[in-house]
Amino acid sequence: MIAPSEHTVVVSFIGDCGEEIFLPVSRGIQRVFGFRVEQMPLLPDVDFALDPNRDQYHSTLILDKLAAAAPDGTTKVLAITAVDLFIPILTHVYGEAQLGGKTCIVSTFRLKEGLSPLSVQETYQVRVVKEAIHELGHTFKLRHCPDPVCIMHYCRSVKDVDRKSDQMCRYCKVLFEDEIKRLTIYRVGQ
Amino acid sequence: MGNVKILIVDDEKIMRESLAGWLLRDGHDVETAKSGEEALEKLNVTRYNILLLDIKMEGISGLDVLKHVNERDPDVAVVMITAYGSISTAIDAMKNGAADYLLKPFDPNELGVLIEKILGNQAQALENLYLREQYKERTRFESMIGQSRAMQQVFDLIMDVAPMNSTVLITGETGTGKGLAAKAIHTNSPQRQGPFVVVNCGAIPEHLMESELFGYQKGAFTDAKETKKGRLELAHGGTLFLDEIGEISMRMQIDLLRVLEDRVFYRLGGTQPLEVDFRVIAATNKDVQKAIKTGSFREDLYYRLNVVSFKMPSLRERKEDLPLLAEHFLNRFSQETNKPIDRISRGAMDEIMLYDWPGNVRELENAIERAVVVCKGPKIMPEDLPIFCAEESVRSDTNSLVEIEKGHITQVLTANDWNISRSAKILEIDRSTLYNKIKRYKIQKPS
Repeated sequence: MIAPSEHTVVVSFIGDCGEEIFLPVSRGIQRVFGFRVEQMPLLPDVDFALDPNRDQYHSTLILDKLAAAAPDGTTKVLAITAVDLFIPILTHVYGEAQLGGKTCIVSTFRLKEGLSPLSVQETYQVRVVKEAIHELGHTFKLRHCPDPVCIMHYCRSVKDVDRKSDQMCRYCKVLFEDEIKRLTIYRVGQ
Repeated sequence: MGNVKILIVDDEKIMRESLAGWLLRDGHDVETAKSGEEALEKLNVTRYNILLLDIKMEGISGLDVLKHVNERDPDVAVVMITAYGSISTAIDAMKNGAADYLLKPFDPNELGVLIEKILGNQAQALENLYLREQYKERTRFESMIGQSRAMQQVFDLIMDVAPMNSTVLITGETGTGKGLAAKAIHTNSPQRQGPFVVVNCGAIPEHLMESELFGYQKGAFTDAKETKKGRLELAHGGTLFLDEIGEISMRMQIDLLRVLEDRVFYRLGGTQPLEVDFRVIAATNKDVQKAIKTGSFREDLYYRLNVVSFKMPSLRERKEDLPLLAEHFLNRFSQETNKPIDRISRGAMDEIMLYDWPGNVRELENAIERAVVVCKGPKIMPEDLPIFCAEESVRSDTNSLVEIEKGHITQVLTANDWNISRSAKILEIDRSTLYNKIKRYKIQKPS
């Protein structure tokens, strides 16, 4: 049996988005998933994903590059970037993840919305941590949860992000544990 | 309502894939089609809740697909996707039955709100259907009838299983009487003095399922004016019958598994644990093993339910029971309608025997009810039977049962311009069963 601590999540910053966020994000990941967290630069920039007409970055393309750049033995990769992300059909996304895949990305671009200069740092950090955990949750096959306080709830606005907790609801916990069991079986069988 | 199935139709790969990825993460089952032609093929074999349909496509356009959907399955909600320059076409589409339209690229919130609204409307419609079905169930066939070897084996199994307290899983096609078998087990069990509580997992909308099963405390949510007992609580001391268990959502599977393991639960908004003791019987017409493989049904719940299991035979596997069943229904409906019809003519019985009855006992019951209504004399004549029955019986001399069923379904579909809802109603099977049969028999809609 492989313990959760044997799983490693690589957190990779892309561009200048304040690496002081690493500590709260890694603590959040350890608390919710129980995984070891390492910081590692994987992509120097994301210019390849820029759509000049929209002045936004296509997140799916970034995920593909991240997956190729991830070191062997990494369980999951979480990228954090300050650029505004999109997928072609939507105006914007806060982040994107490969459902049941290896990589996910969070954009901090819209997470400072509605914050006064005084409250910026703390609330902003909490939002980034929540969105990071949320996107990582997708890589463990978790989908959006209807419970508005569950971390896997889809947030329509930053207000929703503030309202939800930084924990999984009991349903998502069960589904996450199922996936960990499946991964463990898969690893042992390899 | 189980998982929501969405079909995205767009000729731009990048649009299809990005929208599919987003909706998958949102918890929906998503399929894509790159053209109107592919969409029609998929619509022939799968039933979707929502169609996200690009208006402008080469070949069959979005508007053509909309027209097709409206004709054959108006319950499917169609949302048109359009670029800025085509809003007037989208508005025209709404006049022609589209539920709404989205201007691409669209705000993710807009899409989320729209899907929620559509699912809310569909859940309401499902709830109404459930209430109507509940009413019909009260008058549905009241006892199990059959002298065939297959049914005798079922009776023996029921008598063997009934005195035990084991959980039972009953499988079998729709209309074979799984609910009656469950009731028979209860009636012959040590819990027979207790209640027999039915939960139709396929008919209760997901948002109501939790409160239906667990009940709620006064004040648990806005509409909870009084404390209400859930069906788990109501089943205490008796039997809980989980019908169509294959339709239950993943969240409810998790809750149900916990209750089955611990026999303890809380009402919504409640703080006191409630201990319950009941026997569980579950039934399904789905291939649960397949659902486990695709991840839509929990393996642990399956093993919890499948302690003892048996399959109800289809009517074509026990044709020798047809005269007995037909006479039984004739007696019942002639009494109910106060018509002095006391027998079924030899010709009519021959046709009943030759027909394949894909909708099983339920289809036979409806056919006899109809025959009693239209019958003018003292006995049921071949012409009193639904026309499909007579026509199929002639062809069946040379065809296999499978060919007869395929031919009959094709005929009903053609007669109803491929309106799936109407055809399924006539065939007395649910729409998903009809879609499966169309797929299995590769029945093609004439172009």
